[in-house]
Parts: sequence; C-alpha cells; structure tokens
Amino acid sequence: MNTLTSTPSTPGSRRQFLAGAGAIGAAALMSGCVTSSSSSGGGSSSNGGGTVTLQSNLSSPQAKSAMQDLVAAFNKRGKVKAGLNTVASETFRTQLPTYLTSANPPDLLTWYPGSVADTYARKNLLLDVSDIWTRPELSGYSDALKKLCTSSAGHKVFVPASYYWWGVFYKKSNFAKWGVQEPTTWDEFLALCETIKGKGVHPIGLGAGGGTAWVASAWFDYLNIRVNGAQYHRDLLAGRHRFDDPEVHKVFDTWSQALPYFDPNGTALAFQDATTALLNNRTGMMLIGTFFADAAPKDQLGDLDFFRFPIIDPKVPAAEEGPTDGYFASARTHRADEVKELMSWLATAEAQEIYLKGSSGTALPTNPQAKDAGTPLVKKGRALIEGAADVTQFFNRDSSDALQPTADTALTKFLARPKEVTSILTTWQRDAQKIWSQ
Amino acid sequence: MTTTHAAAPPADRAEAQPKRLRSATAAGRRRIWGTVAFHTGAGLLSLLWLVPIAVVLITSTRSFDDIASHGLGSLPHSFTLGGFRAAWVDGGQKQALINSLIVTVPAVLLSLLLASMAAFALSRYDLPLRRAALLVMLGGNLLPPQILLIPVSKLTEQLGLYDTLPALIGVQVGFGIGFYVFVLHGFMRAIPAEIQQAAVIDGAGPWQIYSRIILPLTRPALAALTALSFTWIFNDLLWAITVLRSDSKMPITASLLGLQGQYVSQWNVVAAGSVIAAAPTVLVFLRFQRHFVAGLNLGAVK
Repeated sequence: MNTLTSTPSTPGSRRQFLAGAGAIGAAALMSGCVTSSSSSGGGSSSNGGGTVTLQSNLSSPQAKSAMQDLVAAFNKRGKVKAGLNTVASETFRTQLPTYLTSANPPDLLTWYPGSVADTYARKNLLLDVSDIWTRPELSGYSDALKKLCTSSAGHKVFVPASYYWWGVFYKKSNFAKWGVQEPTTWDEFLALCETIKGKGVHPIGLGAGGGTAWVASAWFDYLNIRVNGAQYHRDLLAGRHRFDDPEVHKVFDTWSQALPYFDPNGTALAFQDATTALLNNRTGMMLIGTFFADAAPKDQLGDLDFFRFPIIDPKVPAAEEGPTDGYFASARTHRADEVKELMSWLATAEAQEIYLKGSSGTALPTNPQAKDAGTPLVKKGRALIEGAADVTQFFNRDSSDALQPTADTALTKFLARPKEVTSILTTWQRDAQKIWSQ
Repeated sequence: MTTTHAAAPPADRAEAQPKRLRSATAAGRRRIWGTVAFHTGAGLLSLLWLVPIAVVLITSTRSFDDIASHGLGSLPHSFTLGGFRAAWVDGGQKQALINSLIVTVPAVLLSLLLASMAAFALSRYDLPLRRAALLVMLGGNLLPPQILLIPVSKLTEQLGLYDTLPALIGVQVGFGIGFYVFVLHGFMRAIPAEIQQAAVIDGAGPWQIYSRIILPLTRPALAALTALSFTWIFNDLLWAITVLRSDSKMPITASLLGLQGQYVSQWNVVAAGSVIAAAPTVLVFLRFQRHFVAGLNLGAVK
C-alpha cells in the first residue's frame, strides 16, 4: 500500500494552493462573524415594504388555523400584507433569543408581556410602539394592561391580544351528588376537602408530574397572592425579597394544611392525565388554567365549572392570575411602520374576535369592546378577572424562564417531604440568587 | 465474511462430537432446556421491546375524546384514522416529509461521495499528515454539537444561507463526514494492495482505481453507512431548528414537535405523526438490512 503513491506533478504547489484557499476562506468567515452584529445581514430585504412576518408559537392544529384566519383577514384589508410562520412552541421558546438577535429577524412575534418582555426590552431588542398606544384601537385598554406592556424604561413594547384565567375547577354533577357548595374562604375550602375525602375521592388533583411540574407553581402563586398580596409576590420573584423569609414560610404553612387532601399521584401524573382523573371522578377539584378545557372531551365541557381560589386573609385585596398573551416586534425590523399597522389592528375587537372564534374558545379578549365565546364558563371567568384588585401573570411570566426550574425543584420536594420546608426554602433561595445575580 | 461463516460450523461440530459420545441423552435434554429458556427469554425481551411501538400504533388509531375521557393507558374504546389525517393535512406533515427527503437524500449521497474520496486518498496513498487528518476528523466527532449551535447559526446567516434547505444539507454533510471517513478508511485499508497494484500495472490512474476498483469493493460498507446516515439525518431535529425558521421549510421532526400544543397535546395526532415520521427510516432500514448487518460484521472481523 505504501509503495503505491501516485506521482502528483509538482506536489508542493497544489498543496500550497489548497492551504492558501482554506486560509482565505476561514479568514472571510471569521471577519463575517465579527461584523455580524453591525451589518444588515443577509441583505435580502430592503428597507420598508414587503410582507410583515409574524412568527407564532401557536402550533397546535386548532390554534394554528385560528392564526391563519387572523392573518388572512388582515391581508384582505389590502394596505399591508402579513405572512404567518408557525413554529413548534418548544422550538420557539428555545430559539426566541436567536430570532431577536438575528440580523434579519421576524418582524412580529407572539410572546408574553411584563417582566419577560422587559428582559428583552432592556437589551434593546424590542421595537418601541408607544405611538400606537395613543391610537383609537388601544385607547380603551385598562390601566393594568398599559402598565403590563410598558418596559422599565417607560416605553410601550407590547400589544396584548388575549388572556386566560386560573380557577379551582370541578364537575358540577359531582358537587351536586356530594351535596356541597363552592367555598369562598380557606376554612370553607378545607371543610369541603374533608367532605370530599369522606366520599372516598382524593379532593385535590394536581398534575405536576411528567414534564408539567410548573403546574404546582399555580398553588405557590395563589397562596402567596392570598397571604402576602400581589405586590409582595412580584417583588419576591424579582429578587427584592428572599424565599427563606418568614412571609414565604407562612405560605408553606398554609399549604401544609391542605396537603393531606392532595392526590398522592399529584406529582406523578402530567396535567393532561390529571384532567382525565378529574373527569373520571378519581379527584374532586383541580387548580388549573382554562387551557385544560382543550384536554377534556367536548361532551363533558358543559359539566365543568370553577370557583375563585379561596380567600385566606380578608385584609389582602383579592388578586387573580390572568396570564396575557400578545405580540412584540423586533427592534431590528426593516418594516417598522407596517409592523405597527399590523399590531394596532391585532388590538382591535374585530381581530380578537376572529382569533377567539377559531381557537378553542376558552381565552378572553384584551380589548374591552370585544365579545368572548359567550359560554357561562367564559362569562364567569371574564367577570373574575375584571373584578380582580390586581392581576398577576404566572410564576415564569412574572419572573423568567430561568427561575421556573428552581420553583419546580423546590415545590416538588415540598410535596414529597413537607417537613423539610426550611431546608427546601434555603436551597431555593440559593438557586434563585444564582439566577438573579446573572 | 463468507469464509469465516463457512469455517465456523465444522469447528462447532468437532467440539460437540466427544460430548455426544459421553452421554447423548443428557446433553440432548440440556440442549432442549437451553433452547426453551433461550426462546422464552428472547421472546419476552422482544415483547418488551415491541410494547412501546404497539402503544404508539394503538394510540394513533384512537380518537382524542376517547383518550381524554379514559386516559392514555386504558384499552381503546374507539377506532379512527382521523389522527393521521390531522397530522398529514392540518399538521403539515406532507410538506415536512417532502422537505425531509429534499434534505436527506442529497445529504446522504454527497457526504458518502466526499467521505469515500477522502477515505480513498487517506487509506490507499501515503499522504503526509494523513494520520493527523484522520484524528482531527474523529476529534470533530467527539465534540458535542451543542457548543457549535450559535456559531453555525451565525455563520449560515453571514453566508446568506440562513433559513434555506441547502444550509441544512451543508451542515449535515459537514458534521457527518468525519465519522464516515473514519469507517470507510478502516474498510478500504483492508482491501489487499495487490488488487490496486494490478490495476496500476494495467495503466489505471487514481480516479479509475477509485471509481472502478475500490468503490465497488467498498459497497457493503457504503450500504451500511447509507442506512445509518439516512436514519441520522432524517431523524435530526437540532440542526434543523438551528438553521431554519420558516414553517414551510421545516423537516418532519420539527413538524412532529409542532403537533404538540403549547399546553395540551392531542396524543392520537402526535402518535399518528410519529408513525408517519418513522415510516421512511423503517423502509430504508428494511431495504438495506442485509448490507447493514454484513457491513457491521465486515468492519469487525479482521
């Protein structure tokens, strides 16, 4: 084999040429990397004009077709054209920073307002849309929403489109069978749990297993809101309080009172399976967001009802969780005027009704003039949020996706070993500190 | 391959002969019990392997309301092919499957062509630094791909290839080629030098030796690598979502992920989508199965 070297003519020169070509290529790529942040990138798009791309994370078939209807309705208006690009929600979550920092970004993206949007706004990645908030389309929006869509620098960076609510859901037929009423206070709630337990049913389903550990955060959020108030909750998640403070201990003391009534499978089942357990009468109630109705068979939807999370301290104003969804635009968009046109249209009652009609119908519109799906459940939910003293988003939306895993770990541990709450909270504080100090 | 197999049975028989002379019945009984134990054990094991596949197949033919009211683990109460329709039409798997094939077929052909050329040069000629080149290629394979996600994404953007299928083909070829060269190099090195010497005497140049002597002799290894690389590239998700952004260009794996909702997943549609996504790789594997096993053996037996 070694004797078989063919005799290339002028071996040196060819090799030198290849080496040279390689070096030049590498140098070109290197310089490309260095200048990537300043240049206008691929250069395929000119300034202004063209189609506005709307990058959407609503990938489930039903929500996707609702978004398609929405974009089609916008395009029918003629002036500006929009194109929808749907990406799997998990992909969207991981790729969002890449989208926003890319030199040729999608113009408009679906995401969350509040501290999540503010994180990106502080890095100057979001388009300032303060001017469209003065337009008639958004003039009727509540002050709470205005505050929610404003960045810490005082700019409006977000346009909300819909929200949903959380409540303690149950089956009407079961409550009638057991002869029990919706509780309003924590003591009534505990008494109700005792009654349901007497019927041989696990009173509280959870669904914090199998990849949906975040569902347990709803309990922490609500207990904290009810015991310490919404402002304390937000400050805590922003790192202005500590997780090992006595206030947080009080939250877990309250939780411990209800812990014997939790379904022992609570941290084993994913929330979709926990929904099935509720529908099959294995559990009595479940604190969950309205999206869970998508996991219920259509013929059982009429049997579902909910009540507000019970009041623990009457002195604390009753805030609710009302996670809001909507749109923000990339600061690097080449079509700022067209994007604003689309954003202000998405805020109209007309647009929000088109979306709600196509989607599963349990979400609520942010435009006060827009009609909702009109079912008794949705009407009750809208009244709940509109009557709330304050509205929080959800654990990850009020803090960050980075802080959520620390909560998942701490709460899962607490549900398994409630006696070790002191060490669990110390660990939680230490983990959270690492995220806040980043 | 054929020679080792032909040689094995006589050796086995020679070993078994004295035993049978000693006590034919005892050995026979032991053999029967051994066979029974082996078949029950292997049967149970393969059943265990097949259970998840069976669950996916059954789930894909159930209706969502059935799953929602009875749970994922219950016995099916319904039979419908609606999940396949939802995945194929509403879920956009048709376009995604086309995209996957547009990426996979050229990527497999191109990477094997380039890898076989490189392996030919490295194994059949006394090139300087060939050992180093081979080690660099292998070293590249040991690097976790995750640390290269951001460079690859920025690089494709700089080259104007971001969000195009050629970018994905390029990435797949680039990342696969090191391993293919390594395997083919080991295989080609084992081909006797005399064959090539004969060709040289007959006046064949390097290109002719490569295309008419070495490449046909490497066919078993190429077939095995075809099956492997097809599976790898077809099943890849990471690079697809790194260099692509438009839903109309996403391959089947990314579209499968899209069938999951933000909160609620329609398991029957997801299962149906998985069945659709798995079909091409299964077909390729069945087609190349013979070569695949042969190729593995050939690499191992010296």
